[in-house]
Amino acid sequence: MAEVEKIISNALNEGRQNLLGTEARELISTWEIPVPRSIQIKGVEDLKLKAGMISPPFVLKVISRDIMHKTEVGGVITGLRDENDVKNAFIRMKKDIEVNVPQARIEGFLLEEFIPGGVEVIIGGMKDPQFGPVVMFGIGGILVELMKDVSFRLAPLNQREAIEMMGEIKGYSFLTGYRGSKPVDIEQLASTIMKLSDIISNVKEIKEIEINPLFAYEGGVIAVDTRVVLEKGSEKTNEI
Amino acid sequence: MNTGNNMEFFFDPKSIAIVGASPKPGKASHVILENLKKIGYNGTIYPINPKYRHIGDLQCYRSLADIGDQIDVAVFVLPASKVIDILKGPVNNVRGAIIISSGFKEAEKGKWLEEELRDIVEKKGIRVIGPNCLGIYDAISRIDTFLVPTERVKRPKKGGLSILTQSGSFAVLIMDEMATEGIGIARIVSYGNKVDVDEADCLSFLSEDEATRYVLLYIESVENGREFVDMASRCTAKKPVIAIKVGKGEAGLHAARSHTGAMGGKYEIYRAAFKKAGIIEVDGYEGLKDACKVLDAYDMVHGKKVLIITDGGGIGVSMADACEELGLEVKRLTDDSRKSLSSRLPAFSATDNPIDLTASATDDSYFAAIEEGFLNGYDIAIVTVLWGPPTLTAGVVDRINEVMNSYNKPVIICSPGGEFTRKMGKLFEEKGMPVFLTPEAAVRAAAVLTGNGTRLN
Repeated sequence: MAEVEKIISNALNEGRQNLLGTEARELISTWEIPVPRSIQIKGVEDLKLKAGMISPPFVLKVISRDIMHKTEVGGVITGLRDENDVKNAFIRMKKDIEVNVPQARIEGFLLEEFIPGGVEVIIGGMKDPQFGPVVMFGIGGILVELMKDVSFRLAPLNQREAIEMMGEIKGYSFLTGYRGSKPVDIEQLASTIMKLSDIISNVKEIKEIEINPLFAYEGGVIAVDTRVVLEKGSEKTNEI
Repeated sequence: MNTGNNMEFFFDPKSIAIVGASPKPGKASHVILENLKKIGYNGTIYPINPKYRHIGDLQCYRSLADIGDQIDVAVFVLPASKVIDILKGPVNNVRGAIIISSGFKEAEKGKWLEEELRDIVEKKGIRVIGPNCLGIYDAISRIDTFLVPTERVKRPKKGGLSILTQSGSFAVLIMDEMATEGIGIARIVSYGNKVDVDEADCLSFLSEDEATRYVLLYIESVENGREFVDMASRCTAKKPVIAIKVGKGEAGLHAARSHTGAMGGKYEIYRAAFKKAGIIEVDGYEGLKDACKVLDAYDMVHGKKVLIITDGGGIGVSMADACEELGLEVKRLTDDSRKSLSSRLPAFSATDNPIDLTASATDDSYFAAIEEGFLNGYDIAIVTVLWGPPTLTAGVVDRINEVMNSYNKPVIICSPGGEFTRKMGKLFEEKGMPVFLTPEAAVRAAAVLTGNGTRLN
């Protein structure tokens, strides 16, 4: 928990209301929510030293306090098979970001192992002004906004409630195995929801947290992307 | 804010003062005075108005301070600013106030008046229901501060339903409707702007109230969410609480462009709160009426296994579908049950679930089918009685009632049809069995008894 406090106070001291992707992933790792293996790099020069620590294929992501939705500005490039691919991706990403969001400050880059797609779900937590901490579960990852197939519970919640909220989703059958696909690990998923409930209930500085997508498989789950918004923050961020 | 449970005296006041009482018929304060007399309130009524010496046969007082006695409840029917003036004055003998007057927070200019009111009553330790409300209708202690004449809005008989509502017009509507449906009422609290007493206080009181068998909540908004959930949970542990939430279309919660925030309109959070507290949520006015009707007749059941019996195939299938949509289990009968039933039922009956007694149905076949179901662990029977089969007589009412009573499980009657059917429906209701006129309503009622709401996910 000391780590978490450090991450949060650091961000607040810098006047940030959003945690960096790397900070958010570190935070959820404290609760033992699995994340893809990754390395953080400053630029191409770092690559030689570190690339051997993880195995391809890779995904390259930008780390920036000014960019909330990386994909939309060219801040995520997937399908990189080797160092050469990564170098080219670097060049492309820097250029795209320069064009799309010239004002964005870039802290560095994240090179992570590509995660084969499971069932995409979203798990969110937020503080409601009247009811306090609330947890959301939804299906569809990128489709969630379109489908609005989500359910809510007040936090903290127990396993029965976590399983119930999954059952309320129209797309529940995607979790239990659909047209020959393997059922996902419902217990792991429930436990991840409970961990998120734990985070939003106990970390008072967090206003909103969201793992989207969370991939769910037969054998477990992995948090592909995490966003954390803090309660306070003097600086007005340029949300993109 | 005065929280806690020190508000029982509102429901058993030794004295009620009407501040701003008037002898003129048609004036709200006059209607309230008359209604208090009509319902047979047997404490002391103190009309207060410096303009009069007497109102009717009651002595009228100049001010609250002029009454030497302690006043349990002072009902204010005066312009908002006058209410403030009076409460600011030398008033120290009032325990509780029901402030009917509007012109507070709900009016643009009245916001600061409401703040002032809050300060004054907090300082003086006066508990307040309202402002901008109708107050209390209490059939147990016989109190009626509703400013609608009884000729226009019927008062329900004494019963087990208590209603908590922000909206006064909803209170009036539901009161009239329940009276017409023959559903009995224990207490109704219309608390309006909630300057002090809110739904959590009332739920806390009702959870301990022996006269209240079940509670109906009409919710526009809740300010102290967690306290509400705590008190509601305490109440649902003892008796069913049904809620209807209005204002569902409120805009999303957060300006931040996150999915979590954007997905949840405020309503989704209310639903989550209701679930946490074990509140049964009903959708719309019809669902509400069905819920009240069935809870008036029966207690909740512990399982979700429903047996459907009909004497017409089609309607049974549509009910089975509706049951599944609302999370009820429509399991098939065991082979043994089916075998035993086919020896007791008309030749072509379908001994599945739904059980179809066909047009050869007799009074006894209803008895046999329900008995078999209850013996085999079904929790509720939804029984359709279509009056076509000539073999069916009025005696079926007694047969169904008999088997219901001996197994002590609820039987919900679904009897759609015209003049003759409705006449026969009255026979069921005389026996205390609620009759629903559509298959959907019957299934909604069954869902309520299992603790499921009638809101689809």
